[in-house]
Amino acid sequence: MTPFKLEIITPDGFLYDGQADSLIVRTTVGDKGILARHEPYAAALGTGKIRVMSGGRTNVAALSSGVIKVGTDKTVILAQSCEWSDRIDKKRAEEAKRLAEERLADPALSAKELAIAEFKLRRALNRLDTAGK
Amino acid sequence: MPKASMKTIKRRIKSVGSTLQITKAMEMVASSKLRRAKHRAEALRPYFEAHADMLSDIAASKTDFSTVFTAKREIKNRLFIVIAGDRELAGGFNSNVLRLVANYEKEQGSSVPAKIIAIGKRTVDYFRKKEREIIAEYPHFCENIKPGRCADIAGIVTDMFKAGEVDEVLLVYTSYISALRQEPTLIKLLPFDVNNKPRITVGREKQEDDSIKKQEDINYDPTPEAVFDRIIPKMFLSMISCACIDSFASEQSARRNAMESASDNASDMIDKLSLQYNRARQEKITNEINEIVGGANAIS
Repeated sequence: MTPFKLEIITPDGFLYDGQADSLIVRTTVGDKGILARHEPYAAALGTGKIRVMSGGRTNVAALSSGVIKVGTDKTVILAQSCEWSDRIDKKRAEEAKRLAEERLADPALSAKELAIAEFKLRRALNRLDTAGK
Repeated sequence: MPKASMKTIKRRIKSVGSTLQITKAMEMVASSKLRRAKHRAEALRPYFEAHADMLSDIAASKTDFSTVFTAKREIKNRLFIVIAGDRELAGGFNSNVLRLVANYEKEQGSSVPAKIIAIGKRTVDYFRKKEREIIAEYPHFCENIKPGRCADIAGIVTDMFKAGEVDEVLLVYTSYISALRQEPTLIKLLPFDVNNKPRITVGREKQEDDSIKKQEDINYDPTPEAVFDRIIPKMFLSMISCACIDSFASEQSARRNAMESASDNASDMIDKLSLQYNRARQEKITNEINEIVGGANAIS
């Protein structure tokens, strides 16, 4: 397979900077697979897994909220947070899940607080799910 | 100068000496903090620059580009995000950046009501004293910034702008240019000017080419506007984080410089006082010899 250049950038620096054979990301409108020589493309990414295949190995990472841009020279993923499956702090994610569920049980939540709690729950669940594999 | 007794001079040397120890220590702490801030800025820079690139790409790809974030409207309410330090003893660092807000308002005519998001303990104190409307305050924020909390600020800003509660958003912070130069800076965040690529530079004196290139046609999913609106809050997140780190680096650098000159002054003072002390001592010895000699002469 023809590899292409992939960069995953988070506020803490580069998470991935190298070649990849293929890539699957979850955009806000559905999963999207990227191979080499993809047409120029950009989309918003939701909370979900991203899979990077390179040299016959598949690495999975948990991503929350970001953007992807596929250019002719390279593909860039910008993520607010992104962790490889083996680097996820499961205990922290469990704790976050518990807290978010507690918040959601509160009936007096405003729409905005509800959205935040939901986002946090989704992020925690995504992390746990990604770490589980 | 009235002649001080040897005892008082000695006491003064000791007190200046302990001040010197403190300023030296503060100088060293500030330089190590500065180094760490620079490291963090390095890590954050690619994230920030990639966002800035993407925004300008999107804006350049369409001529009739317009979203709620780029539309200019009459300015009825203004929002300042002001970043200053948590502590004093950093020369003019805090007052310089805080003065910038007042100057901007004077230039634009201060009849427009302004809301403030205050980052840093000094900022909070300053605007409280002036009885300004502070909508959010974040003391002790810059030293260990967390992307999540910057995202909160970015969220507040974008929500308020979308809801029409504010019509102009300005970011005020101190930009770190070099160890000897820190400049208070004011950046307009919203409405977003697509022809002006945002940039924050931590410790970079050179400016690269910032002209917007015409890009290949990119397929946006679902629409360019949707992707743009999605990027904007992330952009602010990274801009605010960058500005915080930048401001923190400036604060440490300003403090380091202030403490360096304080240490120099203290050393000078100790030198002068030691000289005085030695003179006084010499004088005393001379007097004693004179007395002895005088006494001996009187006897013989």
